[in-house]
Amino acid sequence: MRLPRIFRTTAFRLTLLILALFASASLAFLAYIYVATASEATRRTDREIVQEMRSLTGAYDRAGLDAVNQSLIERAASERPFLYLLMGPDGKRISGSIEASPVESFRGDASWTTFSVTDQDAHGRTLKHPARGLQERLKGGEILFVGADVGEDEAYLVKVVRALWGAGGLVLILGLCCGVLVSRNVSRSMAGLAGVLEAVNNGDLGARAPVRNTRDEFDELAQGLNEMLDRLERSMAGHKHAGDAIAHDLRSPLTRLRARLEAAYLDVEAGKADPTQAIEQALEDTDGVLKTFNAVLAIARLQAAGSAPDPVLFDPAELAADISELYEPLCEDKGIDFAAELTKGLQVRANREFMAQALANLLDNAVKYTPAGGAIMLRVRRRSSGEVEFSVTDTGPGVPEEDRARVVERFVRLENSRNQPGAGLGLSLVAAVAEAHGGRIELDEGPGKVGESGPGLRVALILPRAG
Amino acid sequence: MKILIVEDDLEAADAMARGLTEAGHECVKAADGEEGLGAAHAGQFDVMIVDRMMPKMDGVTLIQTLRREGDGTPVLFLSALGEVGDRVTGLQAGGDDYLVKPYAFAELIARVEALARRRETGSVATVLKVGDLEMDLIGRTVHRQGKEIDLQPREFQLLEFMMRHAGQSVTRTMLLEKVWEYHFDPQTNVIDVHISRLRSKIDKGFDRPMLQTVRGAGYRLDA
Repeated sequence: MRLPRIFRTTAFRLTLLILALFASASLAFLAYIYVATASEATRRTDREIVQEMRSLTGAYDRAGLDAVNQSLIERAASERPFLYLLMGPDGKRISGSIEASPVESFRGDASWTTFSVTDQDAHGRTLKHPARGLQERLKGGEILFVGADVGEDEAYLVKVVRALWGAGGLVLILGLCCGVLVSRNVSRSMAGLAGVLEAVNNGDLGARAPVRNTRDEFDELAQGLNEMLDRLERSMAGHKHAGDAIAHDLRSPLTRLRARLEAAYLDVEAGKADPTQAIEQALEDTDGVLKTFNAVLAIARLQAAGSAPDPVLFDPAELAADISELYEPLCEDKGIDFAAELTKGLQVRANREFMAQALANLLDNAVKYTPAGGAIMLRVRRRSSGEVEFSVTDTGPGVPEEDRARVVERFVRLENSRNQPGAGLGLSLVAAVAEAHGGRIELDEGPGKVGESGPGLRVALILPRAG
Repeated sequence: MKILIVEDDLEAADAMARGLTEAGHECVKAADGEEGLGAAHAGQFDVMIVDRMMPKMDGVTLIQTLRREGDGTPVLFLSALGEVGDRVTGLQAGGDDYLVKPYAFAELIARVEALARRRETGSVATVLKVGDLEMDLIGRTVHRQGKEIDLQPREFQLLEFMMRHAGQSVTRTMLLEKVWEYHFDPQTNVIDVHISRLRSKIDKGFDRPMLQTVRGAGYRLDA
């Protein structure tokens, strides 16, 4: 059997728990007060009875029975709140304010008793009061009883108990209020979180949990949830952007490929072209599209991820030397003077593969645009800011200042590079790699104009300091 | 060679099998991971070509299972996933090589043949011989017709790879991956330049060129 929903809520359980805590704490407290009050009242009455008894036995010891009798009569007539009874050794009443001793089976030692006295109130109604009394045998064998009406104490105790019940009720009400308040706060915070989750489930990634700046666990939870949602939203936006970018970027090369195939088909049909050649051309075009696709995908994934996967600590000079070794023969073949200036012993935390690819892209570009007789310089150095800079400088035509921001965008190819191979994704990938590592790229002029060539280009990939 | 193709895309599997059969190999096809496991248990293969994403049992699970059973058949993973991490996962699971879809057929066949070759040479030889070319792996020296050829360390590695796969086409991507350990497409002809330097050292002055260019595929070292 399942409990109704209300009983399963944390709020209800919390209320119940707080109430139980309040109730048990107040019960213990009130019980203590009651016991302390009641026993104190009894002890006080007993002390007074004993004192009265002592003063009477003292009188007896000093001046004998008659003095006690005298004293009793006086005292009974006065306003003293005691009941007296003086009896002979046989238990017969000699004098006092009551008729008979309430003590049953008196054996001679001091004995306490609790009894009740009847009284008449102003309206003639009979009232019963509780009373306590002490009975002792005097040295001469007579028996003396001193009692006291504890009705007032009892009435006082009744008042105390009533007050205690009231207090208990108040405490319970207070506990209930506290419980409701606390649990309402909890359930309100919970409801806030649950509402956000529901909204996110319904596709609203923009929903955020309210943060009340109370810096309690709920706030921490809400903040954690919000941070997670922020990341999720960024990542989703990144992926959506990546999807859009891929769709957009592949449409043109695919359209071109299709147009070429169609033209080739018509030419072959008309007997104007060799089918084998057309197929070869188509294959080459397809490879081009695939290369483009891979590059776009890599860029899009890097941008969507927002960070590079599997970063490791390594010496950038080693990587740069490795890549130099790959490109040096190519430069030499083209008649380009290649040099590397690598500061050893630096450290970067990066994905080696992506960094290698970025450097290869920069060198690819430099080799493509630098004429024979030109020069390419690869540098790794530490900036004064502590950042690590990889840079490739060439003596090619360079990029006009107004175009520098643009060449980083995908598929931007400047007029003078139209006849070069490539899809215009090289620098975009370098920029994406830099950004994914929390770095950036900078483009500026190379060494300047030398005769026909120049002014050259310097592309720097700057990574934040490791650690 | 006997090749097992585990690929759920039947058209792709057929094309692969046709090409490999034409190249003189015997092919067995399986359409999903479970079928692939059954086929691997039933027959002895020289190489397995395994797609990563398949119904019933994915390629990685299939290979992990076979490796746990002690099956050491060389495996070439095919995958439409081209991330750095994906390749690492495939190789960690027990794959020997990794090819991203779509691929050129020349690339596939070169890699499959390279895998089979790796199995034959137990890599314990200290001297490699191809025709009149000799490589001493311990002394790090290369001789052709008794003449010593002076090579740079990278050229030595490159030649070693070519000699281990003598008679087979090796692609530029394979060379970049196996010799330089990079996994990207350079926009320029970097690999060709390195090969032509090596060629000028081992073929120049000899009557027969050994380092051949295979059109549309890559290079081949012939005895």
